[in-house]
Amino acid sequence: MPARRLRTLAAATIAPLLAVLAGCSTGAAPAAEAAGEPRSGGALTWAVETEPITLNPHQYAQAKARLLVWNTFESLLTYDKQGKLVPWLATGWQAAPDGRSYTLTLRDGVTFTDGTPLDAAAVKANIDKLREPGYAPGVAAVQLRNLKAVEVVDPRTVRLILTTPDVLILDFLASPQGAQVSPKSLREAKNLKAGGVDVVGTGPFVLDRYVPGQELHYRRNPGYDWAPPTATHTGPAYLDEITYRFLKESAVRVGALTSRQVQLVEGVPATDQPLVTANRTLRLTRELNSGSAYSYYFNTSHAPFDDLRVRQAFREAVDVDTVLRSVYRDTATRAWSVISPSSPLYDKSLDGGYGGDVAKANALLDQAGWATRDAEGFRVRDGRRLTVRLVQAAPYVRDRRDVLAQAVQAAVKQSAGIDLKIALVDQGTATQAFERNAYEVFDNSRADTDAGAALNLLLHSKGGINRTRANDPRTDKLLEAGQATADQAKRAGIYAQLQQRVVAEQALVLPLYAPADQIAASTSVGGVRFEPTAGVPASAYDLWIGR
Amino acid sequence: MNSSPLRAAARRLAAGLVVLWAAATAAYLALLVAPGNTVDTIVGDGADTPQIRAQIIAEWSLDRPAVVQYLDYLRRLAGGDLGRSYFLQRPVAEVIGEQLAPTLALALAAAGLGVLLALVLAVATAGDRRPWLRRASSGAELLLVSTPPFLIGIVLLSVLSFRFGLFPVSGDQGIGALVLPAVTLALPVAGLLAQVLRDGLDRALDEPFVLTARSRGVRERTVLLRHALRHALLPAVTLAGWLFGILLGGAVIVEQVFGRPGLGQVTLTAVTSKDMPVVLAVVTLSAAVYVAVNTIADLTYLLVDPRLRRS
Repeated sequence: MPARRLRTLAAATIAPLLAVLAGCSTGAAPAAEAAGEPRSGGALTWAVETEPITLNPHQYAQAKARLLVWNTFESLLTYDKQGKLVPWLATGWQAAPDGRSYTLTLRDGVTFTDGTPLDAAAVKANIDKLREPGYAPGVAAVQLRNLKAVEVVDPRTVRLILTTPDVLILDFLASPQGAQVSPKSLREAKNLKAGGVDVVGTGPFVLDRYVPGQELHYRRNPGYDWAPPTATHTGPAYLDEITYRFLKESAVRVGALTSRQVQLVEGVPATDQPLVTANRTLRLTRELNSGSAYSYYFNTSHAPFDDLRVRQAFREAVDVDTVLRSVYRDTATRAWSVISPSSPLYDKSLDGGYGGDVAKANALLDQAGWATRDAEGFRVRDGRRLTVRLVQAAPYVRDRRDVLAQAVQAAVKQSAGIDLKIALVDQGTATQAFERNAYEVFDNSRADTDAGAALNLLLHSKGGINRTRANDPRTDKLLEAGQATADQAKRAGIYAQLQQRVVAEQALVLPLYAPADQIAASTSVGGVRFEPTAGVPASAYDLWIGR
Repeated sequence: MNSSPLRAAARRLAAGLVVLWAAATAAYLALLVAPGNTVDTIVGDGADTPQIRAQIIAEWSLDRPAVVQYLDYLRRLAGGDLGRSYFLQRPVAEVIGEQLAPTLALALAAAGLGVLLALVLAVATAGDRRPWLRRASSGAELLLVSTPPFLIGIVLLSVLSFRFGLFPVSGDQGIGALVLPAVTLALPVAGLLAQVLRDGLDRALDEPFVLTARSRGVRERTVLLRHALRHALLPAVTLAGWLFGILLGGAVIVEQVFGRPGLGQVTLTAVTSKDMPVVLAVVTLSAAVYVAVNTIADLTYLLVDPRLRRS
């Protein structure tokens, strides 16, 4: 039986690989570092997939740019491993009992790399700038929607006054958009919105060279002494210099790594991972992103997904595990909810609750009136085929999501006679389809640190990207309550109810996988880390070169 | 006698301006009829509220009629102002300025290498002295022309950079970093040019003047290089404009594969994100270079073929 032997062989090859993957995906204990003890000095080169559109953190919009932001800029707060907010440039914060204001105390002795001290006036200058018309419309309209004013109480104390209780303002203070830029830069930088060497922060590195299309070069900030509690050391960074080179092709990134032209790369697709794991001088680490899972959102505003049974049937028609395995070779983590499993707000009770039941899918479609099939095997009702359109905007297709769509397409056709039409188009065409309501399936994942921020956009009836076009008062109420409640346990309860509502009861989404980031690095590099909660590669602060 | 070259130059300049205007207008119209509006693309995948939209519209004056925006664009262009990029939030002249040199270096190196290689191949295999070499070269040229530059680049990188470490993949390592991208871009160019040149040489070698030269006892190599090549160059020079197109198109891919800075990447991003000011500037610039290249080609004709000088 050659087929069986092949399978055994495949299993024998894959099993150790999986063991390696599993072994290295845990939070690396410093003791196990192959690079030995941390030491100071040296220069590293890191190949990244994406060139940032802007280097100004206030304008930040690309998850792939996060690892660069924190080299030069810092926020008032940050998240620890448990997803709890902890101080950074602020030493602490206090919410008023009515939740309508937050008072933050700033750390002493922090200076921007142009010499300007970080004080309450600087923080106010940053937030005021963000609310200036035409500067950062997205931040002003979403994160700072409920902010009324910023008050300088004294040089070390600043107060944010809100129009309504809003705990997500704290997430803003921990986000790249909330990072502190030198007020001098805000006034004088030549191309402020684009950022660059003249837009400076308080971070452990200073950007001293940017060659667009090629690389970013940072050197150590020798005066740095205010590392967040989540870092593994204090004082200045270990590295003297670090260069990030933009190499967009994954094969080229991995090739540059194996030929030692670079020491670290991020963005290692499943197909290239064996190349890294087979090499004993390299190490692969991966971590799940926070925020919302990569999901298909069903447009409920018209047929056929206005019928709950059809939405459920679509989910039952896909064996997500099989689809993921065929596309990602066991490197993808299945998602069961619209929230990523790595988020503290994730509701575990949804695991295994639905999906992959072909008989049920067919029964549901029969009940919904799609009982007959045409010559090609697709279901029809009143002479119309059961067709649903997925519109993917090419600039946002990553992780081979176009291939994944084809696998889902084949699955729903074969198991339930659903015709999933995929259109891979430019951004303009996609937006037009969304505006004209000419789609039934929308795919999306967001890497927000607080999943609540993502869900506000995706699920609220007035949300900016509410592509399910759902208009459910209960969902809105839960989202608003989640944003207004400061008690973490209570919040988790609210978002659990919300997930039950949209995933289990309403079947608004088909969650597919939790996006992950990968870093492949030479074993001589120590301190390779992911940012807690966000799950994306961390800044270069903790990196060092071993012997 | 004195005014005629001047007038000719003025006519050329005027024609060039018309080409520039036509190119800019065509690009403008193409972007206008492309689906989705500019606000959509600026908003992108991010938060999308009426407030954000209103701010973007106000910031870029997108609420004015398309005709007014177009005329405004032309007016600014005439004054040398290329505007600001919607996406990169910087002056377009600055964006293009800093990307021009790397692309120019790549294009010139590739063009030089391609022409040189084509000349060597064609001269070595023209006529019927070595039929086996001619067949081999012809086959190789066909292969080069039909292989996507992306593949050529990856293969060259894998072997010469990743395997043997002879060249860096990209970066500011000076001339070394230019070799592989230039070769990648030069190979298809050389393949096609060599074919055209060889055809021309073959035809020239059949001309009576070659017979005359040979009968005067001129050496075969001299016949080939001094007499036949001059004839064969004409059709190749005609391809100059085409060569420029290939180089610019190829640069998009080559810069992507090798992680090189340059206009190719900027253009690609600008087109996919509908960054009007950048796309228009690149189109206008390309048209300008195209006009210049063709003018030079015309002048080269006069040098290569004395008969044209008389008329």
